[in-house]
Amino acid sequence: MTVSRYRKFTVVTALAAFAMLSGAAFAQQPIKIGYAADMSGVCGPLVDGATKAFKLGVEELNKSGGLLGRKIEVIERDTKTRPDEGAKEVRDLIVNHKVDVVTGVCSSAVLLAETAVSAEFKVPFYSAIGSTQTANIEKWQPYFWQTQPNALMEAVAAAEYVARNKNWKKIVPLAYDYEWGHTSVKAFSEHLKKLRPDVEIAAMVPVKLGETNLTSYITAVLAQKPDAVYGAIFGGGLVNLVKQGKGFGFFQQTNLVTLTTVDFLQSMGADMPDRGMSGFSRAPFYALLDNAKAKAFTEAFKARYNKDPDDWAVLAYDGLMFYAEAVKQAKSTRAEDLMKAVTSIRYAGLRGNMVVRPLDGQMNAPSWVGTVGKNPNYPYMVLKDLVRIEADKTMPTEAAIKAGRAAAK
Amino acid sequence: MIAVQIVNGLMEGMMLFLIASGLTLIFGITRIVNFAHGSFYMLGAFLTYQFSPYLLPGTVGGFVLSVLAAALCMMLLGMLFELLVLRRIYGSDDLMQLIITVALVLVIRDAVRMIWGRNDVVVSMPEGLSGALQIGGSFFPVFQLAIFGAGVLVLAVMVMVIRFTRAGILLRAATDDRGMVALLGINQSLIFTGVFAVGSFLAGLAGGLAAPFGNINYLLDTTVIVTAFIVVVIGGLGNLYGALAAALAVGVLKGLGVLFFPRLSMVLIFLIMAGVLIVRSLGREAVGK
Repeated sequence: MTVSRYRKFTVVTALAAFAMLSGAAFAQQPIKIGYAADMSGVCGPLVDGATKAFKLGVEELNKSGGLLGRKIEVIERDTKTRPDEGAKEVRDLIVNHKVDVVTGVCSSAVLLAETAVSAEFKVPFYSAIGSTQTANIEKWQPYFWQTQPNALMEAVAAAEYVARNKNWKKIVPLAYDYEWGHTSVKAFSEHLKKLRPDVEIAAMVPVKLGETNLTSYITAVLAQKPDAVYGAIFGGGLVNLVKQGKGFGFFQQTNLVTLTTVDFLQSMGADMPDRGMSGFSRAPFYALLDNAKAKAFTEAFKARYNKDPDDWAVLAYDGLMFYAEAVKQAKSTRAEDLMKAVTSIRYAGLRGNMVVRPLDGQMNAPSWVGTVGKNPNYPYMVLKDLVRIEADKTMPTEAAIKAGRAAAK
Repeated sequence: MIAVQIVNGLMEGMMLFLIASGLTLIFGITRIVNFAHGSFYMLGAFLTYQFSPYLLPGTVGGFVLSVLAAALCMMLLGMLFELLVLRRIYGSDDLMQLIITVALVLVIRDAVRMIWGRNDVVVSMPEGLSGALQIGGSFFPVFQLAIFGAGVLVLAVMVMVIRFTRAGILLRAATDDRGMVALLGINQSLIFTGVFAVGSFLAGLAGGLAAPFGNINYLLDTTVIVTAFIVVVIGGLGNLYGALAAALAVGVLKGLGVLFFPRLSMVLIFLIMAGVLIVRSLGREAVGK
């Protein structure tokens, strides 16, 4: 080998090594997830379990080698449950941190603000907790999907449950006085009327968001002597409704049908009335233990955080794993490739086989309904006689979505 | 039905009075608008949550002990805050007291979030106070009747102290003319510390008493302080009896509002506050002329 040949050889080898190394470095570029969550503000208590589960999921994925050989990096932001703050943070995550996907939102208002930014920059965005159907219908954009039953679907599931109780003839809706409360009551009433034309549904009693003393509302509702009260109310407000309602003999006089997620059941503990309470749930871990993945997740969550995962935790984890599956199938994190995978893959998750409908980005997420009661396996009451209501019963039809979009124009 | 809503409103009003009494007392004497009053209320609730499993859990006596312990802790904290911080700013710009009390709100909120987390915590209703008292066809909650009783007791004690004790005479004198009280050789700073301690005790007491009534989380401070301010403003800043009347009126009005104009019930209260403020300012103008 002459000197010049030798030199050429070294240069070529060096170049090749450099190319390979930089290629490897490129492959090592992490997948960035922008986690813009409502960590403080009204949603704070709900997001807590979700964030814990999300972190657990990311750790598991990274331990098993990441996605497409790339590590997952999470950039956390607190939206303070404020739409302006949410939009600002998501914009920053996209523009300055070049995130591949955005998630974490809980509040409907923040969701709508964030989905607009996602549409503007064509960066995928999914919701696992925030559930306004407006993001699927009127404000739908092709880079959005959601993995839990949206507000309409949940209200329809509640109507299905109420309709089964043949001796309930009069229903009074009690709901938070904002978009979610109003849409829920509307969807619930319309669906119930279809199933049971004989039921009388009274005018909605609106509750101010953040109100802590609900006694006046409770007596106003009871004065109408309803067989059941449909409560579109959640979190602390729901705790207050139940605790204060007991003092008025609420559960001796009527039945409350409401959102009974695990965090609510846990925080009520022994204070939960043992009669007159029933409800719907988005992803109760105790109904999912036949599913190996759900069982493994529940055990891992409990081992790490020393408590059972609430619905929000299950949803956040399942949502993340769905994203991971979509990335694997798409073999890319590019928005167009990913969205094709999101709307075409079949994902075997914690809640069974799931698909996302291309028309509105809605996952065929089931709801659970049942009666609140004791279960020797848990120190708090859970839903008994659980019925899983599949999404085909609750998802709005294609025609309804098109009509909703046309009306919004 | 109207009668039930009125009774209900009175019970809610008494709860509001418990919250507002400390705030109005502190303002009346020290002229400090204590934004951290809601935070003391919240801490009172959290401390009651913390103490109740150790002090005869589930019983009324245990509950009362937990509440008193929590209120005493708040009294201590209030005293420390007054001695270490507020004492330095009496007489300075109003903005300064705003900055300092709001800073305390933020510090307490973050501390609560670090200690007890973001999730709601719930204090169990003591066995003897849960349930309803049935009179005819109407149900009245035992717990709120007890709170009403507690409110009346607090009011009675306050009136007795203010009317018939030396401390009360000094308080009234200090409210009227602080300078003159100082000139007479009374230790004014002692009065201020005492008043702040009592005000903080009342905030802790209200928070503790209300703890089993609903959910408790780190956001409770703002919810409470807004309502307390409304009551204090309607009643006249610094006026204890005004605060009582305002609290009861707000409670009753809310009860009736929910019944007759459900969507306007909260607005009604703000309208009254606006009305009171407008009428007061008109009065001042008239005096000025």
